[in-house]
Amino acid sequence: MAIEYQKGKSFLHQLDARTKLLIFIGATVIAMIVVDPLLMGILFAFLYYLGRKAIDKDQLNNNLKVLVVIFLTFSLFQVLFFTPDDAYFLFYLIPFKNWVPVTIQGLVRGVAVFFRFFSVVLSVHLMLYTTPPVELALTITEREQKKSLRNDLLIILPLGMLLFAASLPLAYKPGFLQSIQQPALQFFSLAAGCLVAAFALMKLMKKGLPTEMGVALTLGFATVGILSKQTQQITNAQKARGYDVQPKNIIRRVQVLTALLIPIFLATLERSQDISIAILSRGFDYNIGARTYRRSFTFQKDDFLVLAAIFMLVLAGLTMKNLNWSSPTESFVLSLLK
Amino acid sequence: MKLDIVFQNVTFTYAGAKTPAMRGIDLTIKTGEIVLITGPAGSGKTTLCSCINGLIPHYHEGDLQGEVHVGNYNTRNVRVGGLASLVGMVFQDPESQLVTNSVVDEVAFGPENLGIPREEIDERVKKALAVTRMTGYEEREPHTLSGGEQQACVIAATYAMHPEIYVMDEPLANLDPAGRAQVLKLVVKMAKERGKTLVVVEHALEEILPLVERVLVMSNGEIVRDGSVAQVLAAGDIKRVFKRPDIVRLAESIHLEGQPLKPETLFEEVQKHFKPKAIQARYAAQHSNGHGSPIIQLEHVTYCYQTDVDALYDVSLTVRSGEFVALLGRNGSGKTTLVSHLIGLLHPISGKVTVMGKDTSETPTHILARDIGFCFQNPNHQLVSFNVREEMTFGLKAHGIDPTEFDERIRTALEIVNMQDYADAEIFDLGKGQKQRIALASVLTLKPGILVIDEPTTGQDPEMTEDIFRIINDLNQQGTTVIMITHEMDYAARFAQRALVMNHGHLAFDGPMDQLLGNQQLIEENSLDLPDIAKLARMFSGYGVPANTVRFEDMHTYIREMVGVKNGD
Repeated sequence: MAIEYQKGKSFLHQLDARTKLLIFIGATVIAMIVVDPLLMGILFAFLYYLGRKAIDKDQLNNNLKVLVVIFLTFSLFQVLFFTPDDAYFLFYLIPFKNWVPVTIQGLVRGVAVFFRFFSVVLSVHLMLYTTPPVELALTITEREQKKSLRNDLLIILPLGMLLFAASLPLAYKPGFLQSIQQPALQFFSLAAGCLVAAFALMKLMKKGLPTEMGVALTLGFATVGILSKQTQQITNAQKARGYDVQPKNIIRRVQVLTALLIPIFLATLERSQDISIAILSRGFDYNIGARTYRRSFTFQKDDFLVLAAIFMLVLAGLTMKNLNWSSPTESFVLSLLK
Repeated sequence: MKLDIVFQNVTFTYAGAKTPAMRGIDLTIKTGEIVLITGPAGSGKTTLCSCINGLIPHYHEGDLQGEVHVGNYNTRNVRVGGLASLVGMVFQDPESQLVTNSVVDEVAFGPENLGIPREEIDERVKKALAVTRMTGYEEREPHTLSGGEQQACVIAATYAMHPEIYVMDEPLANLDPAGRAQVLKLVVKMAKERGKTLVVVEHALEEILPLVERVLVMSNGEIVRDGSVAQVLAAGDIKRVFKRPDIVRLAESIHLEGQPLKPETLFEEVQKHFKPKAIQARYAAQHSNGHGSPIIQLEHVTYCYQTDVDALYDVSLTVRSGEFVALLGRNGSGKTTLVSHLIGLLHPISGKVTVMGKDTSETPTHILARDIGFCFQNPNHQLVSFNVREEMTFGLKAHGIDPTEFDERIRTALEIVNMQDYADAEIFDLGKGQKQRIALASVLTLKPGILVIDEPTTGQDPEMTEDIFRIINDLNQQGTTVIMITHEMDYAARFAQRALVMNHGHLAFDGPMDQLLGNQQLIEENSLDLPDIAKLARMFSGYGVPANTVRFEDMHTYIREMVGVKNGD
């Protein structure tokens, strides 16, 4: 089941490719720091709601259904093996023998892990289904940019804040930052370090793929359709010549495969030569450094809103983690039982 | 801008080749000239084109002697990309030149490479699409367009780069007649209006000669003729290299001056200069339809995957053994879909296809393939081995033929396609026409009773086309039933007895070829390209010329009789 771009005009479709990339990264980070099943469930439900609006419901469901069993197994592992010593014991999975204890903490973890995986996978799906691959490739390709302090700050500040929130626990650890005596100074140096790191990250992000690679990537995406059409034609040609393309005998099947592979390989080779002639003839090596692009990618209001939301969510997640409050559901259930 | 193309004693040998592909070329093409290059396959036309935009020596490896200049630039010292801003290239196969995901990206690709600012790119794209009548196709995926639209897209993409020189290497070869007319007009109009140089390579002279100023004829890597259209035509034919259009040869045979190029002009000139007498009414020999038993039957076959794309609607027909059927129609009208049903590559949604008594929906393709030999358009898709003999053995093995028969069958098949000396040749060393014949031969080793051939002559020169049609005709004479998809109306008219015309998935015509030739409305509706001889025959039908005349020799006799030119006069 290939994940292919679907045309559409939904909220997700209108977003910038980079925003969708960041939704994916954001979902991954949140999934790593938040272990609460309820919160993860809400995130998943929200992503699923966006997906339902944007792409074909059946296709989305089919894709997710395949994964349910796999992720349930992962959850089961959590239930089975995540048993802290002070965990609240519920029952034994295999009674009489008293094997495999199931605990509240284990169950909560298990459900959380289930949604965690699904949120990450779903966010990838949403990105790939609603973004033309060419756009995805082009947005991460290096290009001439106007220098703008405002834009730079817009990236550095939130990034710095997130890094700061993430690294805050370090300040409390004994042994770290202890050479600096004053607490205020400790915080200040930590903040400064985060800003420098954020600046470096920004520079790295802005660098992007080299132009040749980016354009090559977009050309590659365009070729996929043609190559699959060609493969179909070749398979048909061989069938028509009398090859049983799906024989029962394994050895015959390998033989038949070679009969298909040789023309497919040659045709692909020929195609790649055609492409290099075609792009050279259209000035690909004219001056690759000064190449311009028809598509311009600018963030719209919605993009900023989504980015702000991701920022807030990640920040909230980090704060919860810092306050050792990473699974309120677990605490709630436990307090009920006490 | 003045940009003459100057070749000074240029010889080029491809790496690995023993003989030069082009030798001793001295040539100047002035700014604004419209030049046609013609000549048989392998005569060096493409090599010459590749020199103009620097693909030789920068991309194709080999030994280049002499100098090629475009304006003040020596092509040796400029990158292909640099020349691309001056020289726009369009090649034969449009699909292989489309490299992006949408028409608008395709057209913008060149200007982007040239570093044109974004606002200007948008303007150029808009203009280029308007000129090529592709406005409205912006978001279409190039590989879903028809051949003519694809080529128009490639031309738009070249146009958007604003080159001073257009070089087009057989831009019409892969198009159906409708596409050909569209693209040809477009190209010449574009060059003339903007005063740009146009170099175009083409085999089919009928359509293009009236539009160009200068003709070069190439043979064996050399320019054997160079001059104005009138000069080159006046110098006569060159055997197996240059055959003038039928109309020109007819005019010559009755000593008509002024070199008419179109049937209309010839008709007018004849009436002006002679007082043509009516000839005794006669009817050209009627083609006899096959009277054998029905071997292919389609009953109300409907196939529909996407609306109107590759669909069939309620098609019913019967083919009898021994028939030669030409399957005609525009690109995308359902011809390939129809023949794919015969061998079970596609199954009808409703209706029934029976071949030799077998229902194709229930019989696997490899069983049906014992009765039907299938030849595809692109021989590369069919050939699986590196060596001719291996290739042919492969098919025999797949069908479980007795190995003692192999040698005999291979020899016979190669003889039929006139390639008996190539049994041990490497497939890669063969040209396209030869590959096509090997693909045909490997089908023939199985001695199929029915032969289905999908456009076997795409991009081949007239000599090769003639050869292939003769081979197939001979097979038909010996009893093989032939169903052939083709755009070559003139050849189809000469050899096939029966015509099927597909239009948007419907069977628009099924009957004798003669009847189709007489049905002007049908011909126009399906943009079938009526051969010049047939057009002329229709014009002269008032003088007793049979309206179904398609052979040059017949027309030749009639016209001489009409104007009273005797043999040896």
